[in-house]
Amino acid sequence: MLISASEAGYFQQLARGAVITMELAVSGYILALIGGAVVGLVTLLPNRAIQAVWRVYASIVMGVPSLLVIFLFYYGGGTLLGGIIDITPFEAGLTALVVVYTVYVAELVRGAMRNVPRGQFEATAALAIRPVGAWLHVIMPQVVRLALPGLVNIWMIVLKDTALVSLAGLNDLVSHAKTAAGATKEPFIFFIAAALFFVVFSAVTLRFSARLEARFGRGLAVAKA
Amino acid sequence: MSGTAPLPAIMIAGLDKFYGGFHALKHIDLEVRRGEKIVVCGPSGSGKSTLIRCINRLEPHDSGRIVVNGIDVNDASSNIQDVRREVGMVFQSFNLFPHLTILENCMLAPRLALGMKKAEAERLAQRFLDRVHIGEQAAKFPAQLSGGQQQRVAIARALCMEPRIMLFDEPTSSLDPEMIKEVLEVMEELADDGMTMICVTHEMGFARRVASRCVFMDQGEIVEIAEAAAFFEAPRSDRLRAFLSQILH
Amino acid sequence: MPFDPSLAWDSLPRMLFGLANTVGITALTLVLGLAMAIPVTLARMSPRRIFRLPAAWFVMFFRGTPALILMYLVYYGLAQLPSIHDGPLWPIFANAFACAVIGLALNHASYLVEILRGGLEAVPAGLVEASAALGISPRQTYQWVRLPLAMRYALKAYQNEVIGFTKGTAVVGVITVVDLTATANEVFERTYDPVTPMLTAAVLYWCLINLMRIGFEFADRRLNRHLAAEEQRRRKPVAASLQPALARWTGLAAPNTERAL
Repeated sequence: MLISASEAGYFQQLARGAVITMELAVSGYILALIGGAVVGLVTLLPNRAIQAVWRVYASIVMGVPSLLVIFLFYYGGGTLLGGIIDITPFEAGLTALVVVYTVYVAELVRGAMRNVPRGQFEATAALAIRPVGAWLHVIMPQVVRLALPGLVNIWMIVLKDTALVSLAGLNDLVSHAKTAAGATKEPFIFFIAAALFFVVFSAVTLRFSARLEARFGRGLAVAKA
Repeated sequence: MSGTAPLPAIMIAGLDKFYGGFHALKHIDLEVRRGEKIVVCGPSGSGKSTLIRCINRLEPHDSGRIVVNGIDVNDASSNIQDVRREVGMVFQSFNLFPHLTILENCMLAPRLALGMKKAEAERLAQRFLDRVHIGEQAAKFPAQLSGGQQQRVAIARALCMEPRIMLFDEPTSSLDPEMIKEVLEVMEELADDGMTMICVTHEMGFARRVASRCVFMDQGEIVEIAEAAAFFEAPRSDRLRAFLSQILH
Repeated sequence: MPFDPSLAWDSLPRMLFGLANTVGITALTLVLGLAMAIPVTLARMSPRRIFRLPAAWFVMFFRGTPALILMYLVYYGLAQLPSIHDGPLWPIFANAFACAVIGLALNHASYLVEILRGGLEAVPAGLVEASAALGISPRQTYQWVRLPLAMRYALKAYQNEVIGFTKGTAVVGVITVVDLTATANEVFERTYDPVTPMLTAAVLYWCLINLMRIGFEFADRRLNRHLAAEEQRRRKPVAASLQPALARWTGLAAPNTERAL
């Protein structure tokens, strides 16, 4: 397919949008990772009240589309904050993604924690290793390994969900693709280009995560073979 | 307290333990002298594992006293830490750290709990791995070893803390028959070196050869304690007689 | 919080109509997605590269692309192609609702392929061998041993995927389909109250999602009875607590790491 000069200009716009998409995805993911790890550990405390609040909150967040959460923060954010501040699409999108995916990361961390065998905790105790050392050297490495496939999965979903923030007015890859499609009357090529950006990134992620899993799984992969 | 008698390695007096409404240990009294080898046996659910897990406080007890080398096992975390330094433990399911090599498994506790330098911990770990005849596998991961080898590593890992007492919680129960011998041999060598040991096991041959005294537990109670020969040849209680006839055919 | 109960009540009929559309799209996507996924799964598991490779590309493309872009691509992008625009299927591709279902189904099918494959591969070879040793034909073995077991193994993953794409249907509004989210947006644009319609929609979504969870858990309990018995045997008597009951009511199962959301 031949690309005219004006179309080339649109592709430059697309590239600029792609940078914004990546910024949003990466910052959202990192914040959700930190938030999820903290929340996941706190909610494992054997405290009935914390457990109950967490169950209700997680159920609400996991029971609602992220697009709705994005709209709520974008349109409703100003109102909720008493109309003092105007929220930018990027801020609204970032807040929504972090709020939603913190819950998913937390649930993942909780599941991974529960799957570390009891014997591992007991062995560290019997060896007089103090809790901090046990966590750092024995428990955490195993939690990370158990959670890794899920964390990779969440990254791919966060990346794809950033596309939704274009609906709250963010000038990202998708919104530029839409503009270009409308202006050039060539929607197919621009939407395919946008799709390929996401496809390539998830393919790269899978490659990278396979290597990461091999590294964290050292000593464990042999068990499966 | 008399000042002349040597301090017992372990003194358990009036020990009670409950799981909810279930009375898991009923008023246990047991004194273990230094260098003694105690074999504990009994049907499953008799409380034998719970008993030795109380000694290093993997399970907190509800009443009674446990004193290990003069240290009271109670809620004080410094005491717990001290007791665990004195007492090594070997589990039925090995519980090796899967993400660390054999050598790293053995180095971890000396480095973290004793603050040992890396090179020193490495020498120590290698020494004990050699002692359980597995030194040449030091760079491998647990999953690459057979069950018997893993259990020998677990013994070496406990020995690296240079404990004065070793607890064995059914160390051969999850092993294939052909691997039991290699683990028992290591345990016998350890016994010959004078280690104080408490072993929960059904290996009656091992008990006959090694045990100073045998303890039979049933339903949370110590039913009978006797020297190995008397234990097997002249059981006093019906319950022990029935148990022995089942286990020895 | 500036939530207006009377607006919520007044807009409820419209909202319920939007919800009905969401449910309809979900149901059609389920059926179409499964119909697409079965042949692709067989191709994906084929020993022949000529089948396997295109199937892998299908999965990679439709799994990696956001549903939003698939909406644009199917509704606006395909219309540009002469073969579609002048072809016999144009009435379908000119219809926004149909395009929404097709786009979502392609996405759903790509996930489903991996779920089905995972389930089929998880069936222990020993069971297939045992069945063969009993003189059961390969076809019957597939039908009566491998497939039923694969369905049981894959159920949790399937549940998460179905619930994930149900929430994902919220994007269909961008191609003029009036689902629950689009209805909430309409109410917002009419009243300039963003909070009330969005929260009303959120409540309705929550009810739908949790109804689906309850349905899945019912199916899980039926299909995986044999596992429940094992679980009970392993459970310690003291371990019983408030948690399982709470978990059931809030619909929160332990996260399944494989796919999610």
